Amino acid sequence: MILAHLLLRRRVALLAAGVLDGRERDEMRAHVDSCSRCRREYDELRAVVGALEADPLRSAEPEIPVSVLIDRVEQRLDRVATSRPKRAHGWRVALPAAAAAVLAFVLLGTELLPRRGPEPVAPTPVPAAALPSEVLDRLERNLAREQAARYLSEAQDVLLAVSATEADCLREEDRLDVGEAPDRSRQLLARRALLVEGRPEAVASAQAVLDDVELALREVADLPSCVRRRDVERLRQDIDRRQLHMRIRLMTRELEG
Amino acid sequence: MEPSQGGGASDRDLMARLAAGDREALAPLMERHYPRLYRIALSYLRNPDDALDTVQETFVKAFQNANRWDGSVEAGPWLSRVAINQSIDRWRRIRRRQATFTPLAPGDHEAALADGALDPDARVHGRELRDRLATALGRLPERQRAVVILRHYQEMTLEEIADALGMKLGTVKSSLHRALGRLRTGLQRGLES
Repeated sequence: MILAHLLLRRRVALLAAGVLDGRERDEMRAHVDSCSRCRREYDELRAVVGALEADPLRSAEPEIPVSVLIDRVEQRLDRVATSRPKRAHGWRVALPAAAAAVLAFVLLGTELLPRRGPEPVAPTPVPAAALPSEVLDRLERNLAREQAARYLSEAQDVLLAVSATEADCLREEDRLDVGEAPDRSRQLLARRALLVEGRPEAVASAQAVLDDVELALREVADLPSCVRRRDVERLRQDIDRRQLHMRIRLMTRELEG
Repeated sequence: MEPSQGGGASDRDLMARLAAGDREALAPLMERHYPRLYRIALSYLRNPDDALDTVQETFVKAFQNANRWDGSVEAGPWLSRVAINQSIDRWRRIRRRQATFTPLAPGDHEAALADGALDPDARVHGRELRDRLATALGRLPERQRAVVILRHYQEMTLEEIADALGMKLGTVKSSLHRALGRLRTGLQRGLES
């Protein structure tokens, strides 16, 4: 019976949220009317929905007129347009295209250009061979740094989610819900191994931060999803002591160039 | 870009022009959707300045990514999707900044909200409710919070929410269920204190 009510709780919540339709809604209404526990649950959740729907922000009007916003967006788009050549993905497209153009010129040029006299015009094999590998090397290096930056940024999200959680899972035992953070930590730790295997020299300057982040993620990965508050506090203090958030921010900026 | 250009064109026409790189199409879209997107960002972030910046960024992204709009959804829900994702991104940045430099204080932003022309009683009641809601909403995981905002502030269907947040329908249902339960605890705690 208790299990049945646990299973029904989600549907009671959905009824209170007003998202059930037709037969499902009618069945749940009938059940709620005949079950005092479900009725209490429903009434409490309806009060929550009522509070949300009475929030004055639902009908708030913007404080600045649309014409001002249009100007701001216009200026922002202008700034983006002028700074676009510096963006990393621009290089990602432009460099291979340039390499391909040079390569095509060299290869087609040697075949199609008219030859003058018996001594063939020496093709230029050095740039044709050297440029792509140079470009590829640079691209790989940039990619490794981008991946490291993304890894650090996502790791910071996980660490912040754990540090900032105030959601109770077992209030009487003073335990906090850290949700999917342990799973996310394990996934990130698997990616960390790949970062080292890829281009370690490209992220050498980030080594110390990567090591400290790895230690913190290992601690989070070992947590259950419902954690004692003092364990979260201990982890938070450890992160603060290592100044991890600030170091991640600085290193992420450096890696992103 | 003049605010009044593109007046009679449909949202679909404007999105098609935007996808083709026509910046003039942005102004009429902004005129139509600005207040609604502002309310999404404001409900999520609870701060007018952050909400305005988020709406601005939403339209910048809309212009930059308009070529990804395939016409399978209307422009309104598509813009809502961009706005809620921008709100989540901004919330992460705010939280990161707060965690680095100052302790978290979920209700602090509320002081920045003006009460407009409400009478004194309504103003006090409105402020109390807003404070309690801000604290309770601020404690929700970011996706659960987004589900609540899209459902109860924008009256979107569960399918629309799933689409906007890139979640499965079942996950949206569980998120809504958990979020309402947590809000109940949070609001009760607010009343007790």
